[in-house]
Amino acid sequence: MKKEKRPFWVFPWGYRESFAVVITVAISGFALSFILQKEVSAPTWPNNIITGVILVAAILLFHIFFPKHSFVKWLSGSYAAISSISFYLFLIILMGFIPQNSNNSLEILNGSGLSHITSSHIFLFAQIYMFLVLGLVTLRRLERFSTRNIFFFLNHFGLWLTLFAAGMGSSDIKRFTMEINKNEPSFQGINSKGESSGDLGLALQLEEFSIEHYSPKAFIINAKTGDIMSENQIFSLEKNAKGNLGEWQIAVKDFIEYGIGMGEKFHAVYDIGAAPAAYVEAKHSSGNIVEGWISCGSFRFPGNFLELSEEKLLIMAEPEAKSYLSKIKIYTKEGEVYLADLSVGRPVSINGWKIYQISYDESKGKWSEISIVELVKDPWLWLVYAGLIMLIAGAVYLIITGSRTKNSEL
Amino acid sequence: MKPDDFTIFANISLISWGLSGIIMSILFFREVFADKKHKFWVIVAHFLAISGLISIIIFVVELWLLLDRPPMRTLGETRLWYSIFLVLVSYLVYLKWKYKALFVSGIMFGVLFLLINMLHPEALNKNLPPALQSAWFIPHVVVYMIAYALLGMSWLVAIFGLLPYFRKQWKGRETVIADNLVYIGFGFLTLGLVFGALWAKEAWGNYWTWDPKETWAMITWFAYMLYIHYRFRHNKNKITALLILFFAFILLIICWLGMQYLSVGANSVHTY
Repeated sequence: MKKEKRPFWVFPWGYRESFAVVITVAISGFALSFILQKEVSAPTWPNNIITGVILVAAILLFHIFFPKHSFVKWLSGSYAAISSISFYLFLIILMGFIPQNSNNSLEILNGSGLSHITSSHIFLFAQIYMFLVLGLVTLRRLERFSTRNIFFFLNHFGLWLTLFAAGMGSSDIKRFTMEINKNEPSFQGINSKGESSGDLGLALQLEEFSIEHYSPKAFIINAKTGDIMSENQIFSLEKNAKGNLGEWQIAVKDFIEYGIGMGEKFHAVYDIGAAPAAYVEAKHSSGNIVEGWISCGSFRFPGNFLELSEEKLLIMAEPEAKSYLSKIKIYTKEGEVYLADLSVGRPVSINGWKIYQISYDESKGKWSEISIVELVKDPWLWLVYAGLIMLIAGAVYLIITGSRTKNSEL
Repeated sequence: MKPDDFTIFANISLISWGLSGIIMSILFFREVFADKKHKFWVIVAHFLAISGLISIIIFVVELWLLLDRPPMRTLGETRLWYSIFLVLVSYLVYLKWKYKALFVSGIMFGVLFLLINMLHPEALNKNLPPALQSAWFIPHVVVYMIAYALLGMSWLVAIFGLLPYFRKQWKGRETVIADNLVYIGFGFLTLGLVFGALWAKEAWGNYWTWDPKETWAMITWFAYMLYIHYRFRHNKNKITALLILFFAFILLIICWLGMQYLSVGANSVHTY
């Protein structure tokens, strides 16, 4: 049976119309970017909530008053969904290949918004299209209640809510880095543009900063170029450690965790700037033996290396951080004082702010007198999380049930 | 224990899986061309596949103990997990659908990935940066590796569907297996993406920053989403679906292994 060819733009719409819509929208997006030469920034409070309400109202209106209209049917159908997914996919593939927000983009990329896609008109349109499609299909499915539809709802509304809350909320996220020290409380942070935060409603002071390091590693480097020559080998410098690096057999005869070099020798001294040092013996496969102290040194004291041959040096790399922790004092506007331990991956929540351990004075390492923290406030986060939890539930359902296509359809 | 003491377990897996794959492929060809069944050798192939799995699990446990951290930090370590899940998935798919060709190719890719690791041993670095010392680290990596294994198998299914199609003798069996692999794989992919977002929020204060790796993870996610929606709409047009599936996995591979070759990948917080 051959289907009669349906004229263009006559309902019900199929692929031709869906992709025609998407292409028109994409071209208008590019055109707008060229004409306006401006980035789109997410609406700020209260414009974001107004935009959100309008969007939700539009979806509800379509659904309630024109559920049978062919346009609404199209917008909540598979053709629109597939065109919307393809549109979005096309844009993020561009993002995957074109470096974003870099300073030396080509003029054409800047003008069309391709060098900053997430803040371009075309991306905004793709988002709105997806909000409409996802919103309408969710509502349509909700009318027929079944277990399967619950998970359809979780997958589709979960994504809608995540994208919606993340999009609408992005301009309400406040993020400031703050350098804190022991001498006095810090009241203000700076944002990514270097602007001051003003009064945050709280102040932070560093009580104590501590850091734990992994054992420092030894490498053989080229004396002229500084290139590492023992690249795929790792030798941790610890008491009594033995092992191979390149053609050399290395043995640690003595190891000092905190030491300072005096002349040819290193002594265990616990003082600001003290650095690990190791007395090593290196035996070449030819039988040649070299020994001496090596140390990575610090901002205060020089290190030392061992000359294995004219072009090869044995060095100690600065130890990598295993964990670091800031004991901080938090003063609130209300006059309360809290003590908290801050470490990477373990933020502290207070008065709507989440405080993150970000860094420290890395040139001073253990002897850092400051700690760098970040304060983040994201009032929309709970909505994003609600969406993500729905996505998790939907995903678990997918994993348990698999596809509906069964062997009987073979 | 030193690595030399337990590398033997990886060798055992390599040989068992390799033999299992060879036996299965011989059986496959004998069935196709001579229509003969060999029950005994099927059991041997099963036994080898399972003993290979047990052996590689012992290897991973020993490696974990030696490194004193989850062996999931480097690209090579993910290849190790990938080979385990790939063999496991191809074995389960074989148990369900009795699809020998798929079992053989799955297990052979498992062998290949394991072989790459053994030919290019990585330095045993015990260090784990503070940001990775998170409860999310293991689930994030494991669900991704399971997803990649399932979707890798679906890629093989797509190829097995596309080849006979172009020779005009295709029966359409592959899309059923592909659908199941993709639905389950997509579920794991979603979990990986969401776990990553939750982890990032705890460690860096952002759930999403369009880091190049995140962008590519999103690309992969949408590509498989496209397949699912296309299949939902066009149950009959299977060939386009298989083509989408084929290209979706190419995007996945760029996301997983290709980042280091892309100019955009240089600034990623992900090492793999």
